[in-house]
Amino acid sequence: MRRNLLPAAAVVAAAAMLVAGCGSSGSSDQPAATDSGPATGTVTFTGTDNAETYQPVIKAFEAKNPGIKVAYTQIPFDQFNATMQQRLSAKDAGIDVYTVDEPRVSQLAAKGFLTDLSDLDGQVKTKFSAAAYKTNHFRDKLWSLPMWNSTQFLFYNKTALAKAKVTPPTADPQQRWTWEQVEAAGRKAMQSGGTKYGLFMEQPEAYYQLQPLAESLGGGSGIEGDDALTPAVETDGWKKAMQWYGATFASGLSPRGIGGFQTGPVFANGNVAFFVGGPWDLKIFGSSKIDWGVAPLPYFQGGKPVTPTGSWSLGINPASKQQGMARKFLEFATLDAAGNLATTSTTTIIPANLDAQKQYTPKMDAFSGAKTAGAAAITAYESEHTAVSRPVSVGYIQFEEVMGKAFADIRNGTNSDTRLQEATRQLTDAWKSIR
Amino acid sequence: MRKRGQGLIALAFLAPALLCLAVLRIVPAISAVVESFYTESLLRGGRVFAGLGNYTDLLSNKDFRQSVGVTLLFTVLVNPIQVVVSFLLAVLFTQRAAGSKLWRTLVILPIATPPAVSAVIWSVIYRPDGLANGVLERLGLPAQPFLTSSGQVLPSLIVLLSWIGVGYWMLFLIAGIQEVPVEVREAALLDGAGAWRRMVSVILPLVRRPLAFVLVADTVSNLLVFAPVQILTKGGPNGDSNLLMYDVYTRAYAIGDIHVAQAEVVILVALTLAIVAGQFRLLRGDQ
Repeated sequence: MRRNLLPAAAVVAAAAMLVAGCGSSGSSDQPAATDSGPATGTVTFTGTDNAETYQPVIKAFEAKNPGIKVAYTQIPFDQFNATMQQRLSAKDAGIDVYTVDEPRVSQLAAKGFLTDLSDLDGQVKTKFSAAAYKTNHFRDKLWSLPMWNSTQFLFYNKTALAKAKVTPPTADPQQRWTWEQVEAAGRKAMQSGGTKYGLFMEQPEAYYQLQPLAESLGGGSGIEGDDALTPAVETDGWKKAMQWYGATFASGLSPRGIGGFQTGPVFANGNVAFFVGGPWDLKIFGSSKIDWGVAPLPYFQGGKPVTPTGSWSLGINPASKQQGMARKFLEFATLDAAGNLATTSTTTIIPANLDAQKQYTPKMDAFSGAKTAGAAAITAYESEHTAVSRPVSVGYIQFEEVMGKAFADIRNGTNSDTRLQEATRQLTDAWKSIR
Repeated sequence: MRKRGQGLIALAFLAPALLCLAVLRIVPAISAVVESFYTESLLRGGRVFAGLGNYTDLLSNKDFRQSVGVTLLFTVLVNPIQVVVSFLLAVLFTQRAAGSKLWRTLVILPIATPPAVSAVIWSVIYRPDGLANGVLERLGLPAQPFLTSSGQVLPSLIVLLSWIGVGYWMLFLIAGIQEVPVEVREAALLDGAGAWRRMVSVILPLVRRPLAFVLVADTVSNLLVFAPVQILTKGGPNGDSNLLMYDVYTRAYAIGDIHVAQAEVVILVALTLAIVAGQFRLLRGDQ
C-alpha cells in the first residue's frame, strides 16, 4: 500500500502549492514617478467592451500619431475588476492604459494602481461636467480622465402593450411613470398573453441599476459618515425598495436565474413588456424584430425621480514602462473631442467630453429610427435634473461586491430586511481592514 | 567517486525542474504563509504585523464558517458519487459489448471541454426556461429553480462537476481493470461467480491502487473547484454554494483583502491535507 501512496501524495502536494501560490502579495506603496519611456511602439489598452468598440478611436489615434500602435485586450465585465486587481497588484507592465469604473477611482488610487494625472486638472475642469470632474479625484489629486457618461431608460414592448390595451408611457420626463404603474401594466401584458414577464432590469444584481430604487424613496446611497465607511443600507427607503424588488421576482413579474449579459435578449425576443437598460441598448435593440419605444426611468409614487449616471474613465498603470505614449492615447480618447466621439461611434454610450456630448446627444433620437425618438431629450433632462452618482468611498469596491450578493439573494427569495441586515454586518467586516 | 559524479549529473538534469518548483511553487507558498500574518490599512497605509489576527478574524466570521461547512458537505457528497460512478462506468465499458468504445468516447468527451465552457453550457441548461426545465415539462413535472434555490444549488453543481469529472477518473480505473489478469477473471467465471460477485470480490480488490489514487486526486480537485461557482452561482444563494476556493478568490481579488485571503489559503491547504490523511488512514485500515 505504501508505494501507491506516492503519486497521490505528490498530487496533494502539487495541489496544495497551487492553491498557496495563487495569491501574490499586493502593496500600497505609491509609485515613484517614472520616465515617460519610448516615443514609439505599442500601447496596450485593457477594457471590458468588445474590440469593435475601440477600433474607431484606435484608428484615429494611430493616424494622428505615426509610430504608435494601440493593442486592445478585452476582459469580460464579470471578471474585469478581479483580474485587474490581480494584475495591477503584481505590477504587471503588460497593461498601459485601462478602463476605470468611476466609483472605484478612490480605492485604485489608494492602492497605487493609478498614475497621478493632476497636471491635467485645469483642462479636465473645463472640458467635463462638475460630477465627472469630482469623481475622478481622490485626496485632491486627479487619477483618471472621464471617457463616457450614462443614464438609464425604460424600454417598452409596443406590441405587447397594445395587446394588453395599455397606453404606453411617453418620452416626456414630466409625465414619467411610477414603478407602481409599470408593475400594473406589466401584469396586464402577462395576463393578456403578450409577454412571459412584465418587467426586467438589464443588470438585476448591480448597484448601478438598483441605487435609484432606494434613492427614489429617500433611502440614501447606502454609505455615510465622514470617511464614507459607514454602511447605511437599512434605512426605510432601502427596506421599502428592496421589499418591492424582491416581490417582483417572487410574483413572477421578473424572471429569476437569468443574469449577466443574458438579460437583453429576453426583451429583444419579445418575452418582457418593460425593460430597464442603458444608452447602448438604443442601437442593440434596433436589430431586434419587436416594436419598441423609450421612456424615462420610473420613480416610486410619493418619491422623487432619480437616475444613475457615470461610466468608465481611463487611467494609466503606474507599472507601465510607456507612460508617455499611454498618456498621449488617454488624452486623445478623452480630452480631444474628436477622439472622445470616436469612442462612442460603434457602442452608443454618451461621451463625457462636453464638446463631444453637444455633438452627440441630438443624434441619439435616430439611433434606431422612430423607436428611439425622445432619447436625446430624456438624456439631457436626466443629466441636469435627476442624475445621482454612485458614492465616492475608498471602500466602494467592497460595497459593490457585498451589495451585489445581497441583491442576488433578495432576487432569489431571501427576506430583504434580514438580508440588508446581513449586508450591514458584511460591510462592517470588510471595511474593518481598510480603516 | 563514480557514484558522486553520477549524482551531480542527475542533479544537473533535475536542476531546471527543481528551480521551477522552487520559484513557482515553494517561494509563493512560503510567501502566502508569511503574508497571512500581516495586515494592511488603506487609510493609514503601510503593512503591519498582525500575528494570528487574520486567522482569528476569519474564524469569527460567519461567512467563512458557512463556507467551511458548505465545502465539507460538498466534499462528503461529491467524492463518493464521482468515484462510485466512475468505477461502475469503468466496469461497464471494459465489458465486451457492442458500442462500448463509442460510449466510452462520449463519456470522455467532456474532459476536453474547459471547465469555464462547461459552466456556460450548464448555465443555459439550468436557466428557468432552459433545457432541464424543458425536459421536466415534457415529462409533466414542475419546473425547478436549480441554481437559485438553497436546496438545489449544491446538487446542481455536483451534477455539472460529475459530468466534467467522471470520464476523466474513469480512464484511470479502466486502465486498472485492464491490468487484472485474464486468467483471474476466467477462473472466477469457471468457479461460477456471477457478475456482481466478480466485480466485488475479484475486480475491486485488484484495482485498489488506481482506486486509491482516484479517490485522493478527485478529493483534491473537488476542494479546488472554482470556475463553475464563479460563473454560475457566485457563491449564492445565501452563500450556499460559496466553496472555500471561491471565497479565497472573493476575498483576495473582489474584496481586495489579500492578507486574509492568504490566511484562508493556508487553512484550505491544511483542510485538504487533513482530509487526504484521513483517507489514507481509512484505506490502510482496510488492508
